[in-house]
Amino acid sequence: MNHPGFAAALLLMASMTLIGCEKSPPNAEPQGFAGLGEDAAAFAQADGASPLSFPEDHGPHPDYRIEWWYLTANLEDAQGEPLGLQWTLFRQALTPPDERPDPAPWNADQVWMAHMGISRGATHVAAERFGRSHSQHANGQAGVNAAPFEAWIDDWVLKSPEDASFEDFTLSAYSGEGADRFGYSLTLEAQGPIVQHGENGFNAKTVEGQGSRYYSQPFLQITGQVTLNGETREVSGQGWLDREWSSQLLTPEQTGWDWFSLHLNDDRKLMAYRLRGGGEDGGDYAFAHLISADGETELIGADRVTLTPLETQSVAGRDMPTRWSLTLPDADMQLTVEARHPNRWMPTTVPYWEGDVVVRQADSQENIGVGYLEMTGY
Amino acid sequence: MLVLHQVHKTFSTPQGELPVLNGIDLTLDQGESLALMGESGSGKSTLLHLAAGLDVPDQGHISIEGQRLSSLDEPARARLRRQHLGLVFQQFHLVPSLNVIDNLRLQARLAQREDAEWTAHLLARLGLAGREGYFPEQLSGGQQQRLAIGRALAVRPSLLLADEPTGNLDEQSADTVLALLLELVAETRCALLMVTHSARVAAPLDRLVRLHLGRLEDSHP
Amino acid sequence: MIWRVLVTLLAHYRRHPGQLAMLLLGLWVASALWSSVQAVNATAKDSYARANALFSAEVDQLTRRDGQPLTREDYLTLRRAGLPVSPMLEGTLEVGEVRLTLIGIDPLTLPNDNALGGDGAALTAFLTPPWQTQLAPETLDILGLSRREAPGATPDVNGRHQLPPLALRPDLPPDTLVMDIAAAAELLESGNTLTQLVTAPEALSAPPDGYRLSRAATLASPEQLTDSFHLNLTALALLSLVVGLFIVQAALGLAMEQRLTTLRTLRALGVPATTLILAILLELLVFGVLGAALGLASGIWLAGQLLPDVATTLSSLYQADVQRSLVLPWHYWLGSLAITLGGLLLAGSGVLWRAARLNVLALGQSQAWRRGYQRQLTRMSQGGVAAAVIALGLVLWLGRLPPGQGVMASFGFVAALLLGSALFLPPLINAVLRLLQRLLHRRPLAHWAVADSQLQLPRLSLAMMALLIALATNLGVSSMVGGFRLTFLDWLDQRLAAPLYINAESSTLAPMLDWLEAQPEITETLPTARGDVDLLAVDSKGGEDTTRERIALFGITPSPTITNRWPLLDTQEGRSAAWAALSAGSVFINEQMAVAKQLAPGDTLTLDTPQGATRFTIAAVYPDYGNPRQQIVVPTEALVQRFGGEIASIGLVATEGAERQALRQALVDRFDVAPDALVDQQEIKRLATQIFERTFTITRALNGLTLGVAALALFATLLAQARERQRQLASLWALGVPRNTLTQLPLYQLGGLALLTGVVAIPLGIAITWTLVAIINVAAFGWRLPLYLFPWDIFITLLTAVGVALAAAALPSLQLWRSSPQAMLNKGAA
Repeated sequence: MNHPGFAAALLLMASMTLIGCEKSPPNAEPQGFAGLGEDAAAFAQADGASPLSFPEDHGPHPDYRIEWWYLTANLEDAQGEPLGLQWTLFRQALTPPDERPDPAPWNADQVWMAHMGISRGATHVAAERFGRSHSQHANGQAGVNAAPFEAWIDDWVLKSPEDASFEDFTLSAYSGEGADRFGYSLTLEAQGPIVQHGENGFNAKTVEGQGSRYYSQPFLQITGQVTLNGETREVSGQGWLDREWSSQLLTPEQTGWDWFSLHLNDDRKLMAYRLRGGGEDGGDYAFAHLISADGETELIGADRVTLTPLETQSVAGRDMPTRWSLTLPDADMQLTVEARHPNRWMPTTVPYWEGDVVVRQADSQENIGVGYLEMTGY
Repeated sequence: MLVLHQVHKTFSTPQGELPVLNGIDLTLDQGESLALMGESGSGKSTLLHLAAGLDVPDQGHISIEGQRLSSLDEPARARLRRQHLGLVFQQFHLVPSLNVIDNLRLQARLAQREDAEWTAHLLARLGLAGREGYFPEQLSGGQQQRLAIGRALAVRPSLLLADEPTGNLDEQSADTVLALLLELVAETRCALLMVTHSARVAAPLDRLVRLHLGRLEDSHP
Repeated sequence: MIWRVLVTLLAHYRRHPGQLAMLLLGLWVASALWSSVQAVNATAKDSYARANALFSAEVDQLTRRDGQPLTREDYLTLRRAGLPVSPMLEGTLEVGEVRLTLIGIDPLTLPNDNALGGDGAALTAFLTPPWQTQLAPETLDILGLSRREAPGATPDVNGRHQLPPLALRPDLPPDTLVMDIAAAAELLESGNTLTQLVTAPEALSAPPDGYRLSRAATLASPEQLTDSFHLNLTALALLSLVVGLFIVQAALGLAMEQRLTTLRTLRALGVPATTLILAILLELLVFGVLGAALGLASGIWLAGQLLPDVATTLSSLYQADVQRSLVLPWHYWLGSLAITLGGLLLAGSGVLWRAARLNVLALGQSQAWRRGYQRQLTRMSQGGVAAAVIALGLVLWLGRLPPGQGVMASFGFVAALLLGSALFLPPLINAVLRLLQRLLHRRPLAHWAVADSQLQLPRLSLAMMALLIALATNLGVSSMVGGFRLTFLDWLDQRLAAPLYINAESSTLAPMLDWLEAQPEITETLPTARGDVDLLAVDSKGGEDTTRERIALFGITPSPTITNRWPLLDTQEGRSAAWAALSAGSVFINEQMAVAKQLAPGDTLTLDTPQGATRFTIAAVYPDYGNPRQQIVVPTEALVQRFGGEIASIGLVATEGAERQALRQALVDRFDVAPDALVDQQEIKRLATQIFERTFTITRALNGLTLGVAALALFATLLAQARERQRQLASLWALGVPRNTLTQLPLYQLGGLALLTGVVAIPLGIAITWTLVAIINVAAFGWRLPLYLFPWDIFITLLTAVGVALAAAALPSLQLWRSSPQAMLNKGAA
């Protein structure tokens, strides 16, 4: 889950700077972060009744309101300097399935939003794009094909060759002109299996049972080139690709989340999140998933994981927790997770914090891994 | 010279018709001087204006040098006025844009009868010699009235009509001006009709009539 | 106490309501003309701001080189290639007489901050059926809806199109409907096609293969283009303001003079000087607010009358759209009020100064007035000299400025010239009257009339100064307009060399050309072409300058029909050499470009052609009236082949007996063009002349009004002193001057003064004409005109002067005729 994006998507819309007329009615009701708690009865509802089906589920699910393809990567250049990057494509349905306009050339029932970000030291750059499509059009400005896999918006493309769909990928995305140009051109290889979060990939997000279909490919080995500050460097490292779709992710009372995807040095992966509000008695809803090197998973329920901010720093005018305590008693894990730099704010239409982190043992402060942290709703 | 016969004049006022003159008969001969007295509002000035052809009577007729005013049109009355009449007003009515000498000979020139010698003589008699270039507002009240008298006499009129000529002057100036006026009238042998409310001013004149309730009452001094 | 003092002061106007009327009249006209022009300007500015906020402004545009319409496939191909283009669909809906512009946009890809601003629900409503029509409230009238019933309404247009639900957006230009491109495509039934692909300015360094790129810079913003135009209007309005303030000043001066006794008495009764001044200030404030309110009300009415013509002018001259209903922001109200009050204070400063220096003991003011006025005349002459020196300095400075610059300095020059001449006028009149007085010594009535005029001069001089200014500007502007008309019509004749023209899409014209050439009755085809090019450098006597600027290209066919008539302003070695040079690869530039870049024949331009940077010699400069932009002319063939331009129109010369109707029908049948694609030269001339006439409507209207104000000033002045004048005349009457003569005298007096003023106005008007044609127009429109003088106009100016004076004098004279002079005499010194 992660992804703000999502949100974003919605938001996206939200924001779009476009369109404002006199007196839009104020939204008095809470709707969760970026409208993700809005009632979505006319859309398909996520549940775990049937298993995921590949390759179809790599493609879009236009009957669901929101969906994303979300890649984060912890890389190093030849000198060992760490670098983080993100590439995300969000989809949002504009209309429920039974209200779709006819597929005239410019008609749209889906809007797309993509974010890219690159972080190194104190540097953080980000870009954002939007597009529209109709779910009955084969080709559009933005879209996703299931097999062979391809996800694109304009010339930003994440795709697989025909013979290794959703196993090998290439990713290319650049933004800006001249000296301000930044972006990356990467090759990604899956070193392990796809991991489903929950029964048939259904991941509950609230005690009432709202949730999403959610699976990941956390075992990506990455090489390629990153251009930043006018220079291009060879990089390599590991990546994590998330897939998630839903029609109602949050309850209206949930205001945001903190989400971790961690690559541990022992080749295990750890995904954990905390949804603020909407838990029992108005508390938080927390969840963790520990994944072994061979893809076997261990789900850890809400009451068995604790995520606690240890230190906040002011970023973009907000207090953001940049050092966390992460405790999983069942796995005997007590970790400290710390941002490499607080400057990882995504100043996008729906703004959020997304950046690379270092994982340490809480007691010894021994470095035991790297990963990504996303914080929304601050 | 001047004959008024059964002259009537009534003014319309908001309060109704106001008869001012009620059958006036008056004759003034060459060289004769007449003081016309009466209370304020008795119609003295009206009578004077009728005599000058500035206004016309409702009934009766007025003639000057044998010419009936009622038989003359406006331009002809104006010609008669500038050639044969001299007018002196309480308010002087000098022309502020003209200097002393130009004021003095204005009427004479308008009547095309300028006599440089006579003008120069008048200027001296009026005590204004040396002030030819002054403008009226640079003169005292007595000087202004003397100038107005000179202007009226410069044309050598046969009839001089004076309306309270000393009314705006202090006693001393009034006496001087009056004396001068009478001397000059005698010198030119013109007839004089003077409206005044002051017995002192009326005293030196040949005759005196009083206007009362629209009629004249003769009263010899 | 101040209240009591104020009441005492104001009591004066109860006895002299004419003075009050005159004061308010002055304030009213001053403020009315000023506020009407400001209302027009504010409305235009608002329109520009809205147009700039609209997506199609300030963006670069792509079109296909092959002339085919853009489609969604073009859009997708370019997007997938990483080019940040956004699709746009523009069309028109005719509602009655009005053409509504319908713009379909894709808010998701529209370049940056053209932003409409909003939230997710609003975006969804915009993007999905039934969509949304955004429009300015002003546009509702055309749709027959009130503001209240508009939101959500789905009006039918022409019974054919149903608009998506309306939503109001006050920042949109009028007559514009904005909606999602999907909704627009449905309304316009445009299917897959687009009218524009836009990008943020400079987002593309070069056009992609197969496309042409038009830079936003070539489409100069209307605000810049029209700046000088609005400056012209403002200057005219300022003129009216000044003339109106002359009336105010005259009225205040008169009222002050007559109240000196009252003021002295008040001081003697123990009113402190400061209280007195405060009371006068308060009085001014009361009048100011009253006058400004009157002025604003009628100014807005007047602006409503003027606006349609201004809008037409701006749209035909600069392609700048201005709405036809007024927009009056708060600063407009405040500004107009402030200007009126400020002007009143300025006009009243003399009165305040006199009140402040009031000598309680002085008995009468009359003793010294003659000497006082002489002093004033001396001061006026000195002021006139100072203004003349400033004018001289400005004109010398202007002479050293490059052409097309110094608009403000030019207006400064005109202002100094007007002020100087106005200040010199009373001393001049005074001198002439003195002379006349000597000459007319033997003619008593004429002598009196001249002397009396001199006496009136102190009161009349302000009104005469106002008349001088109004006359001179009128003459200046009418000569300029008249000269321009001559030049323009002549130019039009030369420029429209072919008797027939065909206008159509470039893709239609290209094949049409071959067909036309094969027609026996067509003896000559004269295609023109359009394109644009990046100017990289200019090399002139001033040195070499590198730049990068998009300049419009225009192609003409240099056949004898054209070369014998096409107007040229300046050539290197004569006309025929210039045309030979053009055919051999040189270029012509328009006057606007020559002025802006200070280029002359013989200088060179470096242009970025598809074959690389190339130098071109300028062979000639041509006049290009009505074009706000810089332009380069090359032969049509070269433009199409070397610069990728496209055919814009075709001029035709046909044989004597050719059937126009048959030709038209053939074009319609064969090439599917509209029947009006074939236009007669006469028709074009008629349209051009019409536009021209409209351009100067407002100038002429304001000018006429200014003259009217000057006449009012004169009239008010005469009326204010009518009573005193009647007394003067009455004493003449008593001396035996006939009434007829007396009634005519003031007419002669005033007519004479006005004639004198008119004579002074002539050289002044010529100087203004020169400034307009040689400096201000060059800066405002980019073209210079020859200085034409029209004896008839000059005669009319003199006639106007006398006419205005007689009209102003007529009423007081009539009054004199009607009233009995005897009554005047009786009133005496009352």
